[in-house]
Amino acid sequence: MTLSTRDPILAMQGVTQSYGLQRTSLFAPPSSFKVLDSIDFDVCAGEAVGLVGESGAGKTTLTRILIGMERPQQGRLIFEGNDVWSATPAERERFRRSVQMVLQNPRSSLDPRMRIGTALLEPMRSLRIEGDHIKRLHEVLEQVGLDKSALERFPHEFSGGQLQRIAIARALMPNPRVLVADEPVSALDVSIQAQVLNLLRDLVRDLNLGLVFIAHDLSVVAYTTSRVSVIAAGRIVEVGQPVELFTRPTAAATRNLVDAVLTVEAGLEGKAL
Amino acid sequence: MSAIATNKPAKSRRRPRWLSNTALLLGIVISVAFLAIALLSAFYLPHNPNVPRIPDRLLPAGSPGYVLGTDVLGRDILSQLMVGARTSLLVGAGGALISLIIGTVAGLSAAAFGRIADETISRGADILLSIPGIVTALVLAATIGSGALTTVLALSAFFTPSFTRVIRSAAMSVLQEDFITAARLYGRPTWFILLRHILPNVAGVIIVQFTLFFAAGILTEAGLSYLGVGVTRPSISWGMMLNEAQQQVGISSPLAMWPGLAIVTVVLGLNLLGDGLRDVLDPRLSRRGA
Amino acid sequence: MTLAPAIEVHDLVVGYDALNAVRGVSFTLPRGGRMGLVGESGSGKSMTALALMGLSPTGWHAAGQVLHDGVDLITETDTSFSKRRGRTISMVFQDPMSSLNPVRRVGDQIADVIHRHSKVSRREAMKQALDLMVQMNMPRPEQLARSYPHQISGGQKQRIMIAMALACYPQLIIADEPTTALDVTVQKQVLRLLNAAARDRNTALLMITHDLPVIAAMCDTVAVMYAGRIVEHGPVQEVFRSPRHHYTRGLLDSQPTMDNIALDGSSRLGSIPGMVPPLHNLPTGCAFHPRCAAASEKCRAEMPELGANGAACWHPVKEKAE
Repeated sequence: MTLSTRDPILAMQGVTQSYGLQRTSLFAPPSSFKVLDSIDFDVCAGEAVGLVGESGAGKTTLTRILIGMERPQQGRLIFEGNDVWSATPAERERFRRSVQMVLQNPRSSLDPRMRIGTALLEPMRSLRIEGDHIKRLHEVLEQVGLDKSALERFPHEFSGGQLQRIAIARALMPNPRVLVADEPVSALDVSIQAQVLNLLRDLVRDLNLGLVFIAHDLSVVAYTTSRVSVIAAGRIVEVGQPVELFTRPTAAATRNLVDAVLTVEAGLEGKAL
Repeated sequence: MSAIATNKPAKSRRRPRWLSNTALLLGIVISVAFLAIALLSAFYLPHNPNVPRIPDRLLPAGSPGYVLGTDVLGRDILSQLMVGARTSLLVGAGGALISLIIGTVAGLSAAAFGRIADETISRGADILLSIPGIVTALVLAATIGSGALTTVLALSAFFTPSFTRVIRSAAMSVLQEDFITAARLYGRPTWFILLRHILPNVAGVIIVQFTLFFAAGILTEAGLSYLGVGVTRPSISWGMMLNEAQQQVGISSPLAMWPGLAIVTVVLGLNLLGDGLRDVLDPRLSRRGA
Repeated sequence: MTLAPAIEVHDLVVGYDALNAVRGVSFTLPRGGRMGLVGESGSGKSMTALALMGLSPTGWHAAGQVLHDGVDLITETDTSFSKRRGRTISMVFQDPMSSLNPVRRVGDQIADVIHRHSKVSRREAMKQALDLMVQMNMPRPEQLARSYPHQISGGQKQRIMIAMALACYPQLIIADEPTTALDVTVQKQVLRLLNAAARDRNTALLMITHDLPVIAAMCDTVAVMYAGRIVEHGPVQEVFRSPRHHYTRGLLDSQPTMDNIALDGSSRLGSIPGMVPPLHNLPTGCAFHPRCAAASEKCRAEMPELGANGAACWHPVKEKAE
């Protein structure tokens, strides 16, 4: 394995997270539920990694910890070699700029009453980033393949695919090193999905970005990433290259996900169901 | 396309769009006319509405000098209605405005500042709502005396909890949206998110609620004045006119008709305006490509 | 004597004011047949489904001819249509969460449908409802029948919806994205169930979805919709193996499959440039021409009709040389 030579930008080490449950009886001790159980997860520059699992497997919590929205109860979140939660303010600021997120539903992730230009500048303003913002805007728009005229318009004037490009552009504005994309294509039409997946792949290659791609659909993750972690019941049950997972799944959860993938080819051969 | 000619009537329970626009238009016309009359009454009145002229008492509508006739003491009905419009405007808009301001602040705080704030504000609103508005008004009238200001205070106490609830739930649904998550990710503080993202997105709700509470305020004010705990002379209110006129029912029935008509028209106009605005302002109902 | 088709649609137009979301759709679905209607959002596929069920949204008009069970559904009155829904024609919606009454036990909800449409006692209806739940592979049906919708999972809710749709042995079930809202690992089970249940009852199935693999798995024929028209129509095997319309080709190319998963990232998914045009600004001629690589002057000027090859295209894709 080449694992030892890699130098991850962003990593989770032994992260365990549990939530308290409502007491079922007055005398029973309050029970808790482990959402994440000793998770190790990392991403390097120029690498796209995938995280797949059914809903309820812990993807959302893992994502929230990865982008620093939630503090891990046990374990560490490491960015560029430093523990994010015990870092200096300057280091945390750098973390916040360098790890950006693309959310699932592009219609909901942009304020309907805010012009695209303003929305794109939001991260620059709130993260207090210096420099020529207008020049940066034009750069980023070109990277995601949108026209400058978009800046003056409102979200409802765009289609879902365009809005997802805009959301990606917003995430790219602070010039991040890691992009975390949570189900970025599941709300999009098939023909548009391919556009966005290709865009994400190009960005990883051209900008040397680390991409964390979270989804429930193994085939979409497999196309976009080169290493996939399968999460089930709060544990990472299998890590591997997409082709390996598809052809030789070992964990039961992986087999379920592989089995769930429907393809046109299988359908035509009458083997799908 | 000949197919369209064979249109079958739309299977609809809701109004078609043109009707909703006509309703909005009607609402705007009535509301503007009402505002204009109320403003005009401050500068011009045909007669002094409080000075009795016994020789001219109980003149029918259309009498020379008295367009809508006079009441039992010979006071001009039209002038009274005009002053009444001003009272309705001040009291209704005043009550709605105060509850708008308090309700918006409280509702947004309840939605955004965590569970303790939410519980405190929501339970407080529940308690206020459990006290009947008329009781509040009577207590206020008994303690600080009846009058326009008392009525405004009573109305605010009555409307603020409802306003708070509406704004809270509207803000809650905006808070669910991903763009709020995005703003939080960029480290925006809650007050910024409230002002920059949530307020503009609930502005439509606020405006609509304002017009509806405005109408309800006019109605409530008329009710209170009719019961004698609202406005008293020399101020004039439509409710008070109704009260005075009911003693003349049978002798001169149209006396009760004019203020009643005024109340119905203005309340209807404001409600039409509110409903129309709701349709226009709701981005989910606005027309998209497909 | 051969039975009349489950549904026969002629030149269906569904629109709002002067805008038409469905612009002349025709197809025939024989008894027990399975047809898929594919399209992206804005293609008019869901509007077609709603119009067939007489459920067009407020203010929308539907015109054309929809023959089913000896009547034209377009001219059917509201009252007689509501007696028909659930009996001869029924629908499974995308979101099972919002399609069930939250304050009524699910067993009762199935029994309601049976009781309303067939002259059986409530007790008998309840018995049939339980039988149906057994057929839907639901464990412990008696217990489940007493649950409220919020107490059961999404997959189970969708099974309840399918049970309700099947309850009165309809001639036709319209399923609008029946598995999109479900967890991936449950999707296949639900499809399998719908497949078997429809086959057992010889019920015709109209699958409406954007998901090509679902159609490939479930249907015999497929109609591809774009901007309110059917642009390609034919047996699934032919259309998906050698599509003649460039839009169908593009949709198939944008499916991630094993072949695309190249480790070096060299292979790329084909994608269709541009976006679905909005209703109020449809291109002239063939609505797909601005996104089509093969578009010519003729495509911009004239709207192609469905040809003998099953595609509405002036320059159909050449057949694969195999």
